[in-house]
Amino acid sequence: MAGMILLLGSCAKNEPLESKANPYKFVVPSNFPQPTYTFENNPITEDGFKLGRKLFYDGILSIDGSVSCNSCHQQALAFADSRQHPLSRGVGDRIGIRNAPSLTNLAFMPDFFWDGGVNHLDFVPLNAIESEVEMDETLENVLAKLNANSTYRGLFKQAFGIDSITSPYLLHALSQFTAMMVSANSKYDKYVRNEGQTLTEAEMQGLQTFKSKCSSCHSGELFSDFSFKNNGLDTASDLGRGRITEQISDYYKFRVPSLRNVARTAPYIHNAGFWTLEEVLDHYASGIVHSSTLDPSLQNGIQLTQQEKDNIISFLNTLSDYEFVDDERFFNPD
Amino acid sequence: MKYLLYISLAFFATVSLVGCKDDEEEVLENPGTFSIYFENQVDGAPMVLDTAGNTNYRYTAANGQRFNFSLFGFYVSEIKLEGPDGATFVDPMNVSADAASVKGYYQVLQSNPSSSTINLANVPAGKYNKLTFTIGINEDGVEEGAAGGVLDPANGAWFWNWNSGYINFAMEGTAENSPQPYVDYGGGFVSYEKTYNIHVGGWKNLPADSTGTQNFVNNVKTITIDLQTDVTVKEGSSPMAHITVDPMKLINESGLDFSTTYQVHTPGKGQPFANKLSSVFTLDHVHE
Repeated sequence: MAGMILLLGSCAKNEPLESKANPYKFVVPSNFPQPTYTFENNPITEDGFKLGRKLFYDGILSIDGSVSCNSCHQQALAFADSRQHPLSRGVGDRIGIRNAPSLTNLAFMPDFFWDGGVNHLDFVPLNAIESEVEMDETLENVLAKLNANSTYRGLFKQAFGIDSITSPYLLHALSQFTAMMVSANSKYDKYVRNEGQTLTEAEMQGLQTFKSKCSSCHSGELFSDFSFKNNGLDTASDLGRGRITEQISDYYKFRVPSLRNVARTAPYIHNAGFWTLEEVLDHYASGIVHSSTLDPSLQNGIQLTQQEKDNIISFLNTLSDYEFVDDERFFNPD
Repeated sequence: MKYLLYISLAFFATVSLVGCKDDEEEVLENPGTFSIYFENQVDGAPMVLDTAGNTNYRYTAANGQRFNFSLFGFYVSEIKLEGPDGATFVDPMNVSADAASVKGYYQVLQSNPSSSTINLANVPAGKYNKLTFTIGINEDGVEEGAAGGVLDPANGAWFWNWNSGYINFAMEGTAENSPQPYVDYGGGFVSYEKTYNIHVGGWKNLPADSTGTQNFVNNVKTITIDLQTDVTVKEGSSPMAHITVDPMKLINESGLDFSTTYQVHTPGKGQPFANKLSSVFTLDHVHE
């Protein structure tokens, strides 16, 4: 019994340390929904996060070492790709079919990729690693390279207590890093959480117009209802959601993207068809192409005056999270 | 601490002894084992595999098309035994990154004889006359994220990256009528001439969208086997259900024409096969 009491006593003593701000603890922002990620299977630790970060920035995941996750997902752009690579650029300068999306708030998303084909964050990197236009590598060979590397063997041992690196631990390490990419400290967040931030008149008017004309799809605090829509582009080569569901009614539909950090993630739309936010709004106002799966809400486009467009763009700029893009936790460690 | 542990043990021992006196005798019996043996057959004879691309067509379908198998297998999960008097055994299931902690998922492969037998332990003593299991990995297995063991794609698990989920049932081989040309994809990946690859996957069972369209094909199937006798499970005996698995039935009942259907890699294309799976698994007999 004495031992028991002692044990309890020592636990209590440790508590203040636990509750002290831990930069590797996943925190749900007060204005966000509950996360979807299965943290109970893969609790984030400092060692696991840092291992995931090292892997994210390491070309070891690609067949010739030339492409890392960071090649198409750059922190300064909220982990989106740059205008230099409107479509993803893989090994041997192979060009993909879609624009690499921003990697933020992934722990809150119901599924992944422009077509929603992947149901779980852990399974996302498999597509980049094994796509012949991205990393063109096999999972087996990545593991062979990692197991032949004493630094990685040591880091996996430290993070997960394993002697031999297997794929679920590789994927868990990457998820620990990407799940932590929570962007919730934009000007808009500080305004909406009543943290003393105010919006300018143009930003406020933009927010009002956005709410009345855009938020039926770009809803909630992540600015997406995560549905799949045909938004009236003149493209017929990529089936989008239809490739996943095999339903003609889903042809040419794509994920409604989150708009967080949208001012930093140009070019826009799954096919990188628009270079600026102005072009996107012009498309919705006057560029809609009709087809059988066009979203009903876009049949007549979205009527916007020039003033409304300007204000919406002012508002969208308040979704840029400069603390996130400058967050040292996500910097390349090497 | 040790002292405390001893007290606890003594306490529990006393309680269970007292409890036993009031219970029926059956409850006192120790649990036993139950095995399931899957024997893959073609037209009633043990299946023979040929190497990929081999054009020795040892089998002929009902439509006259000749073919062979180079790979055959399926996932089994959610195994359950039930008896006429209420005895029930549910095989424990667990998804984990740690291979040793993955429970209740089995990949039966014709190329790996030891995978054909599933040994269930700790089956409560009693009589059982019904066996059910699932062919494939349903959402419980996929929604937990990356997993080890037979669910590890780098360890032979059949996984679709682009439409994430496991292939429930697969058959590959060469067919006289398959128009598949030779293709070298590089990196050691080759499609040989006249091969076929039938991969039946698809698990997503999502609610219909606002237009009422159910957008996914769920090809995970539950198989129920009537054991045709009351099998006694008790300590010391090792009953086994011998199940025959004959894909010729699937090929004939689905009307497979290799000249048009030789690459199946989506849930929708796999559905005609999944819908006929129940006829593939039949009870041969039970060893007591």
